[in-house]
Amino acid sequence: MKDRAEGCLLGLAVGDAMGAPAENLTAEEIAARWGTITGFLTDSPSGTDDTEYAAFSALLLLEHGHALTSDHVADAWIEHLAGREGGFPGAGFSELGTIENLRAGLRPPASGRHLHSWSDGLAMRAAVHGIYAVGDPAGAARLATIDGVVSHDGEGIHAGVAVAAAVAVAMTGTATPREIGAAALAAVPADSWTARSLRVALDRAGDLPGLLDAVVVRAYPWTDLAPEAVALAFAAFLAADGDLPRSVTGAVAMGRDADTTAAIAGALAGAHGGLDAVPADWRAQIGPVTGRCLGEVVAGLHPIDLADRLAAHMEAPS
Amino acid sequence: MIDRFGRRVGALIGLAIGDAVGWPAVRHRAQLLPPWTRRLHRELDAFAEVQQVTTMPVPFALNQPTAPLRLGPSDDAEWVAWTLTWLRAADGPIGRDDVHARWRSAVADGTLPRGRISVATAADTLRRDVDPPRTGHDNPHHFDDAAAVRAVAAGIVAADPVQAATLAGWDAEVTNAGDGLAAATAMAQTISRLVAGESVTTAWATAAVSLPAGGLLAGTVAQALEATRDVPSPAEAVPLLADLVDHVYSYGVAAAQTMPVAVALAHVTERGGARPIDAVTAAACLPTLADSAPALTGALVGAGAGITALPTTWMERCRRLAGCCAPGLAGTDLVDLATGLDERTIRDQ
Repeated sequence: MKDRAEGCLLGLAVGDAMGAPAENLTAEEIAARWGTITGFLTDSPSGTDDTEYAAFSALLLLEHGHALTSDHVADAWIEHLAGREGGFPGAGFSELGTIENLRAGLRPPASGRHLHSWSDGLAMRAAVHGIYAVGDPAGAARLATIDGVVSHDGEGIHAGVAVAAAVAVAMTGTATPREIGAAALAAVPADSWTARSLRVALDRAGDLPGLLDAVVVRAYPWTDLAPEAVALAFAAFLAADGDLPRSVTGAVAMGRDADTTAAIAGALAGAHGGLDAVPADWRAQIGPVTGRCLGEVVAGLHPIDLADRLAAHMEAPS
Repeated sequence: MIDRFGRRVGALIGLAIGDAVGWPAVRHRAQLLPPWTRRLHRELDAFAEVQQVTTMPVPFALNQPTAPLRLGPSDDAEWVAWTLTWLRAADGPIGRDDVHARWRSAVADGTLPRGRISVATAADTLRRDVDPPRTGHDNPHHFDDAAAVRAVAAGIVAADPVQAATLAGWDAEVTNAGDGLAAATAMAQTISRLVAGESVTTAWATAAVSLPAGGLLAGTVAQALEATRDVPSPAEAVPLLADLVDHVYSYGVAAAQTMPVAVALAHVTERGGARPIDAVTAAACLPTLADSAPALTGALVGAGAGITALPTTWMERCRRLAGCCAPGLAGTDLVDLATGLDERTIRDQ
């Protein structure tokens, strides 16, 4: 369990750092600039908001466990994030929208109802809920929803639930990549945008042009749409048949919200394959979280240590 | 005495005045100039940044005709006119299928007017043979006010408020969902009730019952009405409404932002006995929402007070369309469009 938790969070951090330079680019632009993606795109890869918000959600699970409530989450956002000055580097609209709502006194779920509530900001941090509720996709979905309604609504919640449920199933070590993808689909309402996008991912994972054509919204300039991001992430994971290096590089090569999609793909593949699935040279390049986005509350936390603490918590007698 | 015709024209001209008064209007109308004029505009924007000067560029014609840059309506008036044009030409009672078929044919033959992100996304999905309401639901801007603007047409032409809401809903689900859809049905019903002679207070209170409880739209409308409860004039409502403006997101056309401003200003105007034009110009003082909040405001106060309550100076400059989004409508006179309208009924579907 510890091994898969470590693989999951390290895979997330690797994907985040590898995808960061490719964020908001198209597949064509990435191919022209870097050719075939085989590893990190810079000499000193660095994680972004995806790893930091996942670490933040992990801390909440470590403190409250299954008794976590949305009020706990909202209070933590207020205590650690709402008082920060000078903005939130690397964060998206949904995070600042949430903080503005919390500052205005709104509580969940009203705090998550803003103009960008359908972003992939919950999906990027929901792998930790899957780790915590290993083998229990419904429980993972419940935890992701409790965390998510503070900052998201509608499709933003669905996408987070999909990631959490899939990681919970992947963490068992007994599911195939297709079964992991199916678990994501089963966790969200059938008549949702997220479900329709995931179905495309399951059907067309090996057909990159067809996939991008079907799920990418061309008439929208931002890339952090949750239904699109989870479709690209799951397609990369499935096209690689769960292999971590190919899941992550495949997601990076697709572009769009590449740090988040690669982080999700890496989390899925890491939970599926365990720590050894992460190449040693990639692992060596992932250090502690800098806190550039969220500050002191997460600065210095290492994904491996967080994974160990989540795993220890799971294995402790209840 | 104000008759139904006067209120219908009032809604249309009020909307057109509001559409014209906001700063984005001239940027929409600049589309009628060659692309290089807009490219130079972008370069001047960059120049101001690089040179650190406070002199901001404005839309300009250089050696081109200046008419498009004069005061006049733009996207929203053209979308209402486009919708009203096909609704008034429809043969017999209108069904849900007829509404969706109209969109499909406009997309297929390339005559759909230039529109918001919600509209462009829906058009792209219709081209892939996806049907409404998925085109409006699986849409990143499902919450915008594109359908609420078009709903003014349904409110003007439908035989009664309930049919107006149903008709507007069928049209709205092509491009919007959630608050974007709810805003459209509420707008259509309100306009229809105003055209029938109801007060703003009564018309809105009845229409607003259908807004999703706990949603952003219902919540912000309640906040806007509460904040402006004791305000004597639209101008004095502006700073209070400015407190409700979202400054996180990159676009200012969310129905949950523009509708509350329009609804609150219409209430302030009715309560204080202000002139309708004062509500419209007040709405233009919120730059973030200036693309459509003044237009929605103008439709409400214009429908309530009728065309005779709107200044002739404004009407004469805002009644004719430029064709900046729907080239086929260039030169269309909105007063003509409202003249001789037969009320439309709907088929149950």
